[in-house]
Amino acid sequence: MPLVVVGKIKGTNVIEALDAVANRAGLSLGMTLATARALHPTLLVAESDTEADRAMLEHIADWCERYTPCIGLLQNNGLVLDITGASHLVGGEVALLADIKTRLAAQGFTTCAAIAGTAEAARAIASFGDSRIIEPGMEPQRVAQLPLAALSISENLILSLSRLGMKRIEDVARQPRAPLAARFGRDLLIQLDRVQGHIIGPISPRRPVPTYIAERNFAEPIGHDDDIHRSILTLAADLARLLEKHGEGGRCYELTFFRTDGAVRRLTVETARPLRDPKGVMRLFQEKLDTLSDPLDPGFGFDVIRLSATKTERQDIAEPGFDGRDGIEEELSALIDRLCARFGANRVMRLMPRNTHIPERAMQRIPAQHGNAALTIDWDEVLAPEEPPTRPIRLIEPPEPIDVIAEIPDSAPIRFRWRRVFHAVVKAEGPERIAPEWWRGEQDMMTRDYFRLEDEEGRRFWVYREGLFGRETTMPKWFMHGLFG
Amino acid sequence: MVHAWIVRVTTPYAELATTTNFSFLRGASHPEEFIAEAAKLDLKGIGITDRNSLAGVVRAHVALKEIGAGAAGLKLAVGCRLVFADETPDILAYPEDRAAYGRLSKLLSLGKRRAEKGACLLCLEDLLEHKEGLLLILMAPIKLTSGFECSLANLAPLLHRSLWLGASMPHHGSDKKRLAKLSELSSAHHVPLIAINDVLYHIPERRIIQDVLSAIREHTPIEKIGRKLEAHAERHLKSSKEMVRLFRHAPEAVSETIRFLDRARFSLDELRYEYPDEPVPDGKTAQQHLIDLTWVGAAKRYPNGIPDAIKATIDKELNLIEQLDYAPYFLTVNDIVAFARSRDILCQGRGSAANSTVCFCLGVTSVDPAEIDLLFERFVSAERREPPDIDVDFEHERREEVIQWIYNRYGRERAGLAATVISYRPRSAIRDVGKALGLTEDVTATLANTVWGSWGKGISDSQIQQAGLDATNPMIRRAVAIAMEIQGFPRHLSQHVGGFVLTRGRLDETVPIGNAAMADRTFIEWDKNDISALGLMKVDILALGMLTCIRKALDLIAQHGGKRYDLATIPREDPAVYAMLQRADSVGVFQVESRAQMNMLPRIKPATFYDLVIEVAIVRPGPIQGDMVHPYLRRRQGKESVHFPSPSPAHGPADELERVLGKTLGVPLFQEQAMRIAIEAAKFTPDEANKLRRAMATFRRVGTIHLFQQKMIDGMVHRGYDPDFAARCFKQIEGFGEYGFPESHAASFALLVYASAWLKCHHPAAFAAGLLNSQPMGFYAPAQIVRDASDHQVEIRPPDINASLNDNTLEERVDGLLALRLGFRQIDGFRNEWANRIDTARGAFYPNVETLQRRAKLPRRALILLAEADAMRSLDLDRREAAWEVRRLPDAETLPLFEAANADELAEEPLVTLSPMPLGEHVVADYQTLHLSLKGHPMLFLRDIFAGESISPCITMASLPHGRRVKAAGIVLIRQKPGSAKGVVFMTIEDETGIANLVVWPSLMERFRRVVMGARLVCVDARIQRSPEGIVHLVVETITDRTAALAHLSGETMPTSLARADEVKRPIPEGTRPHPRDVRILPKSRDFH
Repeated sequence: MPLVVVGKIKGTNVIEALDAVANRAGLSLGMTLATARALHPTLLVAESDTEADRAMLEHIADWCERYTPCIGLLQNNGLVLDITGASHLVGGEVALLADIKTRLAAQGFTTCAAIAGTAEAARAIASFGDSRIIEPGMEPQRVAQLPLAALSISENLILSLSRLGMKRIEDVARQPRAPLAARFGRDLLIQLDRVQGHIIGPISPRRPVPTYIAERNFAEPIGHDDDIHRSILTLAADLARLLEKHGEGGRCYELTFFRTDGAVRRLTVETARPLRDPKGVMRLFQEKLDTLSDPLDPGFGFDVIRLSATKTERQDIAEPGFDGRDGIEEELSALIDRLCARFGANRVMRLMPRNTHIPERAMQRIPAQHGNAALTIDWDEVLAPEEPPTRPIRLIEPPEPIDVIAEIPDSAPIRFRWRRVFHAVVKAEGPERIAPEWWRGEQDMMTRDYFRLEDEEGRRFWVYREGLFGRETTMPKWFMHGLFG
Repeated sequence: MVHAWIVRVTTPYAELATTTNFSFLRGASHPEEFIAEAAKLDLKGIGITDRNSLAGVVRAHVALKEIGAGAAGLKLAVGCRLVFADETPDILAYPEDRAAYGRLSKLLSLGKRRAEKGACLLCLEDLLEHKEGLLLILMAPIKLTSGFECSLANLAPLLHRSLWLGASMPHHGSDKKRLAKLSELSSAHHVPLIAINDVLYHIPERRIIQDVLSAIREHTPIEKIGRKLEAHAERHLKSSKEMVRLFRHAPEAVSETIRFLDRARFSLDELRYEYPDEPVPDGKTAQQHLIDLTWVGAAKRYPNGIPDAIKATIDKELNLIEQLDYAPYFLTVNDIVAFARSRDILCQGRGSAANSTVCFCLGVTSVDPAEIDLLFERFVSAERREPPDIDVDFEHERREEVIQWIYNRYGRERAGLAATVISYRPRSAIRDVGKALGLTEDVTATLANTVWGSWGKGISDSQIQQAGLDATNPMIRRAVAIAMEIQGFPRHLSQHVGGFVLTRGRLDETVPIGNAAMADRTFIEWDKNDISALGLMKVDILALGMLTCIRKALDLIAQHGGKRYDLATIPREDPAVYAMLQRADSVGVFQVESRAQMNMLPRIKPATFYDLVIEVAIVRPGPIQGDMVHPYLRRRQGKESVHFPSPSPAHGPADELERVLGKTLGVPLFQEQAMRIAIEAAKFTPDEANKLRRAMATFRRVGTIHLFQQKMIDGMVHRGYDPDFAARCFKQIEGFGEYGFPESHAASFALLVYASAWLKCHHPAAFAAGLLNSQPMGFYAPAQIVRDASDHQVEIRPPDINASLNDNTLEERVDGLLALRLGFRQIDGFRNEWANRIDTARGAFYPNVETLQRRAKLPRRALILLAEADAMRSLDLDRREAAWEVRRLPDAETLPLFEAANADELAEEPLVTLSPMPLGEHVVADYQTLHLSLKGHPMLFLRDIFAGESISPCITMASLPHGRRVKAAGIVLIRQKPGSAKGVVFMTIEDETGIANLVVWPSLMERFRRVVMGARLVCVDARIQRSPEGIVHLVVETITDRTAALAHLSGETMPTSLARADEVKRPIPEGTRPHPRDVRILPKSRDFH
């Protein structure tokens, strides 16, 4: 079955990518999903996920750093590598191109790649020609036959030029430059020159430069643990000064080790609250380093170590309070951070209320570091704050069946037996009626009527009747679901 | 703590807080369902209270009458739940009498007029200003906050003896405590406690629907919405006994409902409609004024003296009008028509009363009553006492002038458009429900797409499977089931296309008026059924493109030395016009230009005006579903004898239907006839017949349709009619359902058929220009209109900067004939103002593009559009040269210095040689810019390719014998999948020689679906099917997509690299951009489902 990936353009679903089967079935890029479905009702459709695409491309780019550190992203589906002075490391351009293609093919990617004097020329050839290496100075000839789309100019411009009879790059290149510029602007000529390899356009490297960076270059590469530790601490202190100047604290730190042989190793830690204390930062990285499954291998040593704060947040200087409880929050988050760095962020959990009527679902576990943002409750609590809680703090899980004497249809128990003990009810309040969440599709779920009961000894219970008498069942069952402290 | 209590089952109860589904996406039951359930539960009363709205009350009112529950002791109280924009808690408001109702309606209008469409913005002060005579229930929130107590304390002294404290039992765990607190508050503030259940649905099973509606309303999937949903299903209508039990600790609250109900006396029956006064001059009665106007008009219509027969008819009609007191209605319609005439806006009345002699004399219609024998009293019946029905069609481009004039003349508080209730249909239902249940958009879209047509019968398992989804998936099944159930649920109100309600007093004291989405439009909360149920008058002010076309064509004829015609003076019964129609030469002719009509024309062979009336009415769901078309045709062609169905002699005279069916050869074709059969043959009372019609019109009415079906068929069979005939008659009425098409409408339309056919026949150039200048309208795109004109020997001239105006115009040729000059409006994206500037600044001639730009002050974009549309030939520049020239011009206004010098400001530049544009590419560019080409048909340039495949031109098909196998190819113009054709797809293809009509049977659809639905150029192997009347269809056997051949037109082929696609994902930069070759060459076909 044909597979297409669709994305929304101005509210309509449009094909953004397709497989070979879909292509053979007559579907094409830019076609609306509605048309595609009319053509092929049994189409497999995946919604495009730009972030995932981007992540995948980043991943490939990361991988490509083995060839060169200077890598730019081209929209969401291309990479440009500046291999100036780098190709000899893998045995020349031919070997490099072959190496990239083979290795990526092994990962399941088909690659269209080209090497040329300028990024634009290489991109044009790779997109509209075939994988090849353009000898220096040969670019104008090699791109001449390509369609105007290879110029990477606007749709309208392509249409206008082709209406004038210019359909290939050579048709445009042949014209005198001044009249062209007068009509279509300088950008067309610049683009033309770049594609023809006459001028070099800038490559914007993909890694966004973090605002806060501390870096050390070592004339003599370092490899010893102590040296590394000391360097990290110094870097953290440098960074802390920088952050403090701007009133910021880091929520995410990245530590990059550049090995003399070109290998790169990155470590990241996250924090639950803004942090800039160098010792704190150091401690988090220490936890990380200690628990690395594949330890840091300095090889012949690191010549650069860089610490950057990739995510920051406002952090004001703390005013001491009067109650002497200063730092409890901080200590707790420091503890959470350390536990997370050691065991992993998804292993340290805290309880959070969840938006549902069903008591046993009303709490959930979430990663402790994410606590603050998720703490907002955007639903109305049923009771006024001054009233006592209507539900016990802990629930009996699973609820325990009890024997009850109560009037039908929905009165409170008069007496009941729980764990072989009889209780006579002296006070009762209820019912609080909660119907099942029908969309979960659980079979035989019935409405519950919750009651708060007090027996003659003053013990308080939370019990429920399962099943509405008459409407759902003729034999409601009773359960004990919790105790009030 | 033991309570001794006795259930006093006798205590009656009335539910006073009822939220229906007219509180959109909140209430989960129809008003009718509440009424039926309240009657079943034996409640004393029910009060309908939608959120800031009275939209549902008329339906409840009608439902109460229909089930006769009023007699059984159920009382309806009309009210509304006021929801405030300030902190005030919700208040239920019930009017004590008519005057208080007026104030409530005005209050709601006030809130709605200052909010945007669909919203209502009210504050407590607004209520206090309108409080007189309103009985108010303050709704206690579930959580009794101090804010609420404050509100109560503030309101209690202000609303002495008209405020109640509404208490419900929310089942939230501390109901008893809450009720005690409310009791306490009630006595502290001397505000009586009143029991309510605040219902959202009539039975507990609707909780699921209500949950889903809430999820839709909150735009949150149901799994995430949590506590915004109700915790349980208790908000359904409950019996008195159950309410007494729930309120056992405050029994007085239950009995208070009855005391309240006694005071809420207002009933919708008290609304009295009065016609506006404006059209009647002072000192005259409406009847006298109408009589005077009619005779003045008659004298004008019959300049040679009014025939006696006409005199008699006029007298008879005027008498009937007097008897029923309808004179003000006719005068109101006349008032509007007179305004239109004074502005030269062409209009034409239609509808039951429109084809009367009186209306002909007034000029409301141009259908001469002598030409068509329509019995006036048949439509304005004394028994029905419904206001007569006249719709007036106006030129579509100028209708807004009429509408704004009406608002001005009668004032916004006295004139309002009727509402249309937009309800959930299968597609919209499944889309919203799917989203609410958290299905992905793709699955939802797939489900929605399995529903063809708008009123499908739901989605079957096999349909789900065909769409590639798992029919056993519980989530999908649930979504489908819920979507089925909310079909017909109102979603929002929208303005009716043109139904105006005008009143003498303030309309906003009868029904709330709110803003429409369109600027300067206001509409009321009730739809046409509500309006007619309450006997309000409505005039439909409708828009009709063909009237625009006819007026423009008539203007052109007059401008170019012809006579000044109007609808009434176009020469009648011209044989040449009928001859043309009999040939099905009807492209562009009103109503008869569709494929189905073109097939019908040679069969009916219209030769008189009445034949056109039948022609218009026969290709409609009613006659088709009733299987009446073929019997009629057989009788008309003399293949079957004309006889009239008759009852057995014991039950009545054999000719009882002859009077009804005489004109249509014994076959019922019109809606009136079908209704008449119900009355004559099944002995329905006129009132029942009317109910039957209404039951048909609204699909969801609570299960009354099958009762009528049984009654009608049994009634006819019992009286000795053929059961088959009876069943077909009923199916026909079913078919009329929402698209009822009565004879009176057909007659008015037939006049426009004749008028447009006459124009096409005698003034083809003016007709084509009129059609093009009224686009978008009709069935055909400009390319086909132009081609048809050209086939009728009209010379077509291309748009040119030195000859064209914005509109298409006529030019006189040396031989005296008229040529059609295409206007700038045909150029895609070209603005009216640019065209006007070109015209005003033209002087004698534009010698070059610089002058054009300078004098007409055109932006560069306008010049580029002109150049690319090849509209500069008079400057000796072809498309390519012109485009090169204009691109050089600066974009801004001319530099002042140069303007002073008025000199050409551009320097010399090196010479550039552009390769000449091949003709095929010109044609492509023509289509891209003008949607048509005068230089040739795209197929012309492909003919060599196709000829090599022994494909014959379309024109040869007409002469081939039945059964012959042929190959044909052409551009797809139209694709149709009519609902009545059981999955057959009709396609029209065109080549340079003509068109061919393809039929694709459903059995082929699965194989060729891709081609049938998607191709722009197709090639078919087919068999000729020729009807006795000589109509030729190509029955498709195989069909192939040849769209790719169009690429040959642009002259050269491109390197094919983008054709490759990856198994995984294409890491090619710029990959999402369509290749220039893929830019659309031909305009999209027009597809009708």
